[in-house]
Amino acid sequence: MKILAFLTNQFLKRNAKFSFIATCLALSACGDSSQNLSQQALNNLNKSYPSQSGGTLLDATIGEPSGLIYMVAGESAAGAISSNIFNKLLKYDKNLDLEGELVEGWQVSSDQKTITFKLKPNLKWSDGKPLTSADVLWTWQAVTDEKTRSPYASDFQLVKKAETPDALTFSVTYDQAYAPALDSWAGLQILPKHLLQGQDLHTTAFARKPVGSNYYKLDSWTNGENIKLSRNPSSVLGQAKIDNLVTRIIPDSSAQFLELMADNIDSMGLDPIKYARIIPARPELKQKLALYKELGNSYTYMGFNLKRKPYDDVRVRKAINYAIDKQEIIDGVYLGLGIDIASPYKPGTRWSNPDLKPYPYDPQKAKVLLKEAGFVDSDGDGVLERDGKPFSFEILTNQNKEREKSAVLIQRRLKNVGIQANVRAIEWASFISRFIKTGDFDVVILGWGLGLDPDQFNIWHSSQQAPGQFNFIGYNNPSIDMLLEQGRTELNPDKRQKIYHEFARVLLEDSPIVYLSAGYGLSAIHKRVKGIDNPAPPAGVGWNTYDWYIPEPLRRAVPGRTEISTN
Amino acid sequence: MLKYLIKRVLWMIPLLIGISLISFFIMHLAPGDITNNEASFNPKTSEESRQKLRELYNLDKPVIVQYGLWLKRMTTLDFGNSFASHQKPVFWQTKDKDGNVTKGMIQEALPITLMINVLGLIITLTLATPLGIIAARKYGLWQDKSITLFNFIGFSIPGFWLSLLLMYWLGVVNNWLPISGLHSINYESFDTWGKVKDSLSHLFLPVVIPSVTGLAGITLFVKNGMLDVFHQDYITTARAKGLSEHQVVYTHALRNALLPLITIIGLSIPGLIGGSVIAETIFAIPGMGKLFFDAVMMRDFPVVMGILTIGSALTLIGNLIADIAYAWADPRVRRGVMQS
Amino acid sequence: MNKSLLEKALQNPLSKAGFVIIVLVFLLAMLAPIIAPYDPNDINVKAILLSPSWQHWMGTDGLGRDVLSRMLYGGRISLLVGLVAVGISTAIGILLGAIAGYYRGWVDTLIMRLVDVMLSIPSFFLILAVIAFLTPSIINVMIVIGLTSWMGVTRLVRAEFLSLSGREFVLASRTLGAKDARLIFTHLLPNSLTPIIVSSVLGVAGAVLMESGLSFLGLGVQAPQASWGNILTDGKDYIQFAWWLSLFPGLAILITVLGYNLLGEGLRDALDPRSENNR
Repeated sequence: MKILAFLTNQFLKRNAKFSFIATCLALSACGDSSQNLSQQALNNLNKSYPSQSGGTLLDATIGEPSGLIYMVAGESAAGAISSNIFNKLLKYDKNLDLEGELVEGWQVSSDQKTITFKLKPNLKWSDGKPLTSADVLWTWQAVTDEKTRSPYASDFQLVKKAETPDALTFSVTYDQAYAPALDSWAGLQILPKHLLQGQDLHTTAFARKPVGSNYYKLDSWTNGENIKLSRNPSSVLGQAKIDNLVTRIIPDSSAQFLELMADNIDSMGLDPIKYARIIPARPELKQKLALYKELGNSYTYMGFNLKRKPYDDVRVRKAINYAIDKQEIIDGVYLGLGIDIASPYKPGTRWSNPDLKPYPYDPQKAKVLLKEAGFVDSDGDGVLERDGKPFSFEILTNQNKEREKSAVLIQRRLKNVGIQANVRAIEWASFISRFIKTGDFDVVILGWGLGLDPDQFNIWHSSQQAPGQFNFIGYNNPSIDMLLEQGRTELNPDKRQKIYHEFARVLLEDSPIVYLSAGYGLSAIHKRVKGIDNPAPPAGVGWNTYDWYIPEPLRRAVPGRTEISTN
Repeated sequence: MLKYLIKRVLWMIPLLIGISLISFFIMHLAPGDITNNEASFNPKTSEESRQKLRELYNLDKPVIVQYGLWLKRMTTLDFGNSFASHQKPVFWQTKDKDGNVTKGMIQEALPITLMINVLGLIITLTLATPLGIIAARKYGLWQDKSITLFNFIGFSIPGFWLSLLLMYWLGVVNNWLPISGLHSINYESFDTWGKVKDSLSHLFLPVVIPSVTGLAGITLFVKNGMLDVFHQDYITTARAKGLSEHQVVYTHALRNALLPLITIIGLSIPGLIGGSVIAETIFAIPGMGKLFFDAVMMRDFPVVMGILTIGSALTLIGNLIADIAYAWADPRVRRGVMQS
Repeated sequence: MNKSLLEKALQNPLSKAGFVIIVLVFLLAMLAPIIAPYDPNDINVKAILLSPSWQHWMGTDGLGRDVLSRMLYGGRISLLVGLVAVGISTAIGILLGAIAGYYRGWVDTLIMRLVDVMLSIPSFFLILAVIAFLTPSIINVMIVIGLTSWMGVTRLVRAEFLSLSGREFVLASRTLGAKDARLIFTHLLPNSLTPIIVSSVLGVAGAVLMESGLSFLGLGVQAPQASWGNILTDGKDYIQFAWWLSLFPGLAILITVLGYNLLGEGLRDALDPRSENNR
């Protein structure tokens, strides 16, 4: 190992010498560039400091947002930035209870069909214009407008009537009680009517120079390079601590990690290997980066194409479920940073049914079930056959290392029970357009990221199978349909909980998908950033970014270029 | 000369038609209807955007009409707006009724890619010329062989791997150079000299790495050109006249050996533009390559088509300029052209 | 290939090195099932990311698979991609070049214009778009690289045909009433084979490199099938830590591509009449 490491270094030196000379001649900038952090500076990182305002937080994103009007942009890169600029009516607090963001309070009518929101007084847009119920109404009209192509429209289309009795009151009436309603209003970013009225949301220049009401406002957006936000002095929620949020666009994950190591960005999402193996093993990284993990509202699963044989047979699905060792995947792929689950809800929340247990790893049972379903190895080649056809399929997944690896582990386990699986990892866009939308697949490994409301109508209801809709596995179960419909209209949390516990039980029994694991969201944040809750509360690490602060001694002398003052 | 020019420009027309055919074909390569091919879940978006796509590319019309309309788009360079980022025009800036100017995607990306490639070409030529001369003069000796070996090693390294190694070495371990991006975060606050320094330090790796990997071809070309010229009568004559070796090499041979380079540079344009995809992705540079790759991944057809067209047109223009420059620089060709 | 040409090329130590590299790499890839110490897909979640040792000469990857074994099998795939892609481009090149050079006239003009068109579209853009739209797979990668790199061979074959068809032996067989196909296959083609081989050797180098670039962008050979390109891409995130994951595939590509280039260049040199009368 030493020899090879030495070879790499030699190789690098030879190439590097030339570049170094050339740079110094050309730039004379080499002298003042900083060294790695001194021990003194590293010690300072671990001291405690009083909370204070100022400083710049540097972040990175793989993809550039297509625009900052989240309801039409839709991608997570857009949401990460626009959520700092715009407010919603409601939000989830630290413990995932709903509270008002733009509103002081809300009331649900006795027939449970009408919700009345009361806005906080004196709300302002960052351009100084007042923010009133007219803006809220306009936003609702915009998201439900025929011409607006928003992936989030369906929730709001259920609103039959929206009214603004006065400048501070906004009320919506549904045809029938709609349980996920409040959750949906905690997701809709309110847009300024006075700047957007009469414009096409898809083409408006506003998408690239938005005006909002939240803690930050957009300073500049340099195409393909960075997006800079600064504190909004007229923020409706008070003042955030950190002055500037800069998001750099760095499309390659390796380059992003190098930037993190060189101290040119402050935070980055990590994969399990970086989190569990690499950073802990490197003192210089461990000293300056704090690691965070949070259980997200998401899980990885293996789904069957239920419209095809033999996956329409519950015995086959169960057999495969028994044949897969989930713990092996959690240990081997997620390095222990995952939890095995038995319902499609975040473990530990009220919606997750604690009585359900995941299918244990039991290859014997799998073999019995397969035999019952008519699969026998008649030619002795180790692969089961039914009607003369060997049981083999392709496991498709996108190019996500964890899913790819899970697929390989599953392939081996399936082989043990006589099922021959091939694995193919395909680039995301092709994967969606060629296989998912056309329904041309046998078995897929994918993940679901979920909202906080337990309603999963879009994923499981039999009416949601059109191309581009979420029930692409073609799940059709009348009792599930019924439970989903009930759950949507039941507002009593305890009764709702019962419905969804039953829903999860039926789902597990029917096994339309194999739950693989709920993985932790992993990230590293530079220790110069203080005020972060660790361990993360239920709402996650980022629930209080407005309270994060960077003490003055720890700030970069020159933002973007490494330097931490030592005093 | 004028006649040659006109002939040369007219000759581009069949090529442009060919390019339009191929790009038209690629767009229709996606299985079924290209409107099926959107890369995201979203029932509503897909139905709506399919309608838009159908309008834009007239998919309801017969293929030949579709092609005619596509040709029209191509000649007027009107590719509409991007699908992924609806507010951005593909090619050139537009102004809305409030006077907001939105710059075109290609308009923003092209100068960056051109600048990097021109700088890279300058570096390649400055390195390749002396290396080629040495290799030719020491033909078959160890100098020639080590130059060949060095060049081919450069050519054979997977570019992204070399880039990452150097980013790590120069950016992280030694902190001599920025790792990625085009400017520092606080670029705006620098004075002019600071801005120049900042830009150069950011451009260093993205420019130098491709030029080192591209060195092999040009060096070989200079070397072979020199060897050819060495054997020609007038060089032998010059030698016989008792001119010093130095004079022979630098005044006579070099000029004649470098002439064909003009053509080679013209021909290398498509490779340079295409090669920018990987470098721009790894160094986070918002140029044509990155733009094209993103567009392909998001099935953003207007951008894909726009870049294929502009990229090809650039190549044709580059070749035209190279041919004219060659004709202008080489008296023999000039005369030949006049006669024909 | 004409033997004296290879012999002549091998007098140059660099080409000889290239030749040795090619033969070695080829042998290693062919013998992979015999010499690979482990099954390349043999997972061991208890032994992930081990650095090189006597048990695992090149360490293990993120699933505990033996990197050396994956390199050997991946080499087969990378070479296969190179050889098949070049096979396709050479076949198309010969066919179109022969037609253009033999029949001349408007067919020739048409084919050469097509060549010009293909040369003016940035080929990497073309490859990216086509592979992405058709779904990336090893077959598509080979076909698309092949379909976008035949122009050089076409020009070469056409030029050879044009120059050969004036020679006596061709004229003679023509007057004797030889059929076109016979003439092309028995006389013209064998005589223009040497430069084609030279360009194919260089083409393999380009295709192997191209596959690694496509893998970097996620459009090359798709996991879990190993190719040097995707092993390298897998390892690039851990370049400073699990260095063995990227160093070995990186070097393998470098050395192999270098080998093909050195040999190709040596052959070209040996073909060059200049090298006879000078030194």
